[in-house]
Amino acid sequence: MIDIRQKLEEIGAFEPHADDGLLVCRCEEVTKGEIRKAVHEGIFTIEEMRRYLRNGMGLCQGQTCGRLVKSIMAAELKETPDYVEPASARAPMRPIEMEILGKDQGGAYE
Amino acid sequence: MDIRRYDMIVIGAGPAGLSAAIEAAKHGVKPIVFDENARPGGQLFKQIHKFFGSKEHKAKIRGFKIGEELLAEAEKFGVEVVLNATVVGLYPDKEVTVKIGEEIQHFKGDSILVATGASENMVNFKGWTLPGVIGAGAAQTMMNLHHILPGKKVLMLGSGNVGLVVSFQLMQAGCEVVALCDAAPRIGGYGVHAAKVARCGVPFYLSHTIIEAEGDEYVTGVTIGEVGPDWKIIPGTEKHFDVDTICLAVGLSPMSQLLDQAGCQMKDTRGGFVPACDAEGQTSVPGIYAAGDVSGIEEASSAMIEGRISGITIAEYLGFAEKEEKESRISELEAQLDTLRQGMFAPANRGKKIEKTEEGIAISENLLVKGFVSDEEIGRFPGVTKQRKIHPVMECTQNIPCNPCQDACKRGCISIGSNITSLPVVDKEHECIGCGLCVASCSGQAIFLVEEDVEPGYGEVTMPYEFMPLPVVGEKGIACGRDGKAVCDCEVTKVRTSPAFDHTNLLTIKVPNDMLMKARFYRAKKEAAYD
Amino acid sequence: MNKTADVIIIGGGVVGCATAYYLAKSGTKQVIVLEASKSIGHGGSCRNGGGVRQSGRDVRELPYAMYGIQHLWPTLSEELGVDVEYTQKGNLRLGKTQAHLEKLQKLADNAKAVGLGVEMVDAKEVQEICPYLSKDIIGASWCPTDGHANPLTTTLGYYKRSLEMGVSYYTDAKVALLKKVRGKVRQVILTDGTVFEGEHIVLCAGYESRAIARTVGVDLPMTKLIDEMFVTEMQPHMFDIMLGTASADFYGHQAHHGSFVFGSECGYEEVTDMEDPSKLYTNAMTLSASCRAVMDYVPCLKGAKVVRSWCGWLDNAFDGVPFIGDCKDAEGLTVACGFTGHGFGTAPAVGLMLSRIVHGEKTVVDISALAPNRFKPNK
Repeated sequence: MIDIRQKLEEIGAFEPHADDGLLVCRCEEVTKGEIRKAVHEGIFTIEEMRRYLRNGMGLCQGQTCGRLVKSIMAAELKETPDYVEPASARAPMRPIEMEILGKDQGGAYE
Repeated sequence: MDIRRYDMIVIGAGPAGLSAAIEAAKHGVKPIVFDENARPGGQLFKQIHKFFGSKEHKAKIRGFKIGEELLAEAEKFGVEVVLNATVVGLYPDKEVTVKIGEEIQHFKGDSILVATGASENMVNFKGWTLPGVIGAGAAQTMMNLHHILPGKKVLMLGSGNVGLVVSFQLMQAGCEVVALCDAAPRIGGYGVHAAKVARCGVPFYLSHTIIEAEGDEYVTGVTIGEVGPDWKIIPGTEKHFDVDTICLAVGLSPMSQLLDQAGCQMKDTRGGFVPACDAEGQTSVPGIYAAGDVSGIEEASSAMIEGRISGITIAEYLGFAEKEEKESRISELEAQLDTLRQGMFAPANRGKKIEKTEEGIAISENLLVKGFVSDEEIGRFPGVTKQRKIHPVMECTQNIPCNPCQDACKRGCISIGSNITSLPVVDKEHECIGCGLCVASCSGQAIFLVEEDVEPGYGEVTMPYEFMPLPVVGEKGIACGRDGKAVCDCEVTKVRTSPAFDHTNLLTIKVPNDMLMKARFYRAKKEAAYD
Repeated sequence: MNKTADVIIIGGGVVGCATAYYLAKSGTKQVIVLEASKSIGHGGSCRNGGGVRQSGRDVRELPYAMYGIQHLWPTLSEELGVDVEYTQKGNLRLGKTQAHLEKLQKLADNAKAVGLGVEMVDAKEVQEICPYLSKDIIGASWCPTDGHANPLTTTLGYYKRSLEMGVSYYTDAKVALLKKVRGKVRQVILTDGTVFEGEHIVLCAGYESRAIARTVGVDLPMTKLIDEMFVTEMQPHMFDIMLGTASADFYGHQAHHGSFVFGSECGYEEVTDMEDPSKLYTNAMTLSASCRAVMDYVPCLKGAKVVRSWCGWLDNAFDGVPFIGDCKDAEGLTVACGFTGHGFGTAPAVGLMLSRIVHGEKTVVDISALAPNRFKPNK
């Protein structure tokens, strides 16, 4: 069980840093400062963060930034990175056109 | 619904996937291997360096050659490899959907092996999204597969084996590597790889990281700075370099998403998100296996063995092999794998600072920080002896599982013994004939031949040389030390190439006797400078 | 850790967070929200298509669906300090056959009877409203006051704002049972044994509400059904309307950032047999079937790349409308569940009504038809 309010008190108030403008998720243009600030708004999981800021929701599905977001969040939560669970993986593993996905009755390939 | 069924579906035709498919096919399994790339082999075909290990690990063979051998073996055993085939999803009941051509095909396997490998990590710094900031693996793909130079002047971030090997390859391709930096206080990769780069004159900046990639439209420069114990930049330590490319070699992350999607139990480790597997690669879902980097980052050599272990395990799981057969094969393969996982760089030693070799010799501090063993330190290692007559000087100073030099010398001058991680020892009883096979056999390019007094006051140093154009006999140039700095003038006296050397040329230079233990690299005069 | 409160809300989804917000706004000092998973909005709240619509709804739901659209959604982003991307540009429910049109006509007539502005439009009018649609569409129902919002930021917006206003949240707090004290439901006991106690218990935990309510002898007759969605990469801006079809082939819209979000099915859903429902496996056939369904109506999207698919469980009430209100046979317990796949758009209104119910006040509209104990044998 996680007491969100107590955890927020433990980690203290959001403090601006010089590198807050640093782009972390390039697909959706989410900055380090936005991620850090969201933690202080109660966003403690990657699942919530993706939904809140859209980091990792773009074309690469967090392949590039997933690990970075994890460590930024963990540092802000004063925890080790394994405290923050990675996003769950879902099909398709690569972006694929609807037209191609729509053709799946074709039978054997030659 | 048209679903094609297979005994074994392998996802990823890299070293692990192919090895598994071959091993299973040998026992009568009919595997199908999917790979999203246009050619199989995974990362093997961009590995132009010679591999470490022993004979059974295909040591001293270049990665792409190993790839070719693997493909030939796959063909021989009838492994079906489907290329340009992107796996879309891995679903319950071991169902795989694959994009093949312009459509989606459904497959079900009685077993599935996920061998999807890894992807490169990124780091953030100001300007990291500028064109010109690329992964080291991407640079390697550009150079070695597509024959395109990533840039002209490069800064490498990351001193692990990838950073070191790619730095050397960038120079081989004709790039200038202006510096190699790493936030860690010590070099992460093999000392011999670092030494290769250092003697080409590349400065190492440990405890340094990138502050900013400069440029408006693309990279035009980079500033690095020293990190303090709090991982923050120490003001005043900034250093600027004009570069057009910044290469990042900051680790790999397993591409384990399919396993997660399939409901396999996962582990969040320092090395990434990996499936919980037993020693044979069996995940928590019966019939789903994982091998290679996807189950934990290691070298291609171990991926191939892991693949074979999973392959025979799957063959037995499917009833194609007997239990005894599997067990004896696995014990053989596990012994090979154990060998690879020994020494200073063993997975168990990750992050530890090793102070002494297994022989009790103090590790070169200079090597860990600057990338080369200093002239004062080199004499304490058993491969380095002072003899008048021609003899090998093996600047192998860390315990890594590798022994081709021992096999290469037919005269018995080099001894490692049964412990593969031991440092090579020069056996003075046996006479070196200067054949140079040991020099070419060393994947770390750490063996030199030294002979005093070939003429009064002068001796010769023979070194491995893998740069183009090859110097010609009679050419006058500069001999450089282990730190890449000029030590004296020299003359090229021999240039040897041979199929047995496998593209490692042997370059012999003549230097004054007192420079024989210092001169370790050659530069044509015009590009070298004394300082 | 404070384990007593005026109100304990079970379920940190959009309804729970909205209820917490309206309670805090109306001055309730101590509100605790318990979420079973590690993430707020882990269930259907963040897995739905974001429809904020009135058309196509059962007449028992329409009054509060309309109330929310008239009084709550327009100012929600401002209230919460989070952009919920509320877009009120209308909803087309598309038909390709005469039978479709008859079905849509019937729904429209019912809606009109309770005062909703919804009309039938012909093929030409459909193309005028949305020129990106297939020419095979022969007509549609059109409700210009319908729209859509972002379920992710709406849910987390309610969470964030209510947290700021003093509500206490506990995640990874799975409820095992409720317990009566002197005849009144007061205690909420977690699987780890932790006991919370409140004057009022609000149960809005989706399908899981059924098992929790059962521990105090209340049955909420509903089943669960899997539903799948997918999202495309960003596309150039095309349209702002919400789309649905007469035969429920698909539903969806273009989100503010450019991606299209669609929900559909392949027909296998009723017989889905997932060993561990919490794993939320998508089905190997559904994504392809969904793409075909969408391309049949919006053919110009065929080149759009899908970046992700996901699924969630619906909590389907036996008669298709939710259970909202006090449990007459378990004093102290108020429930809100069984939203049957269309709870998101009404969540603000439901949250507001629950806060009033807890205070013993009259709800904004009459919802007696949604009483939790309404089930009666049909023979």
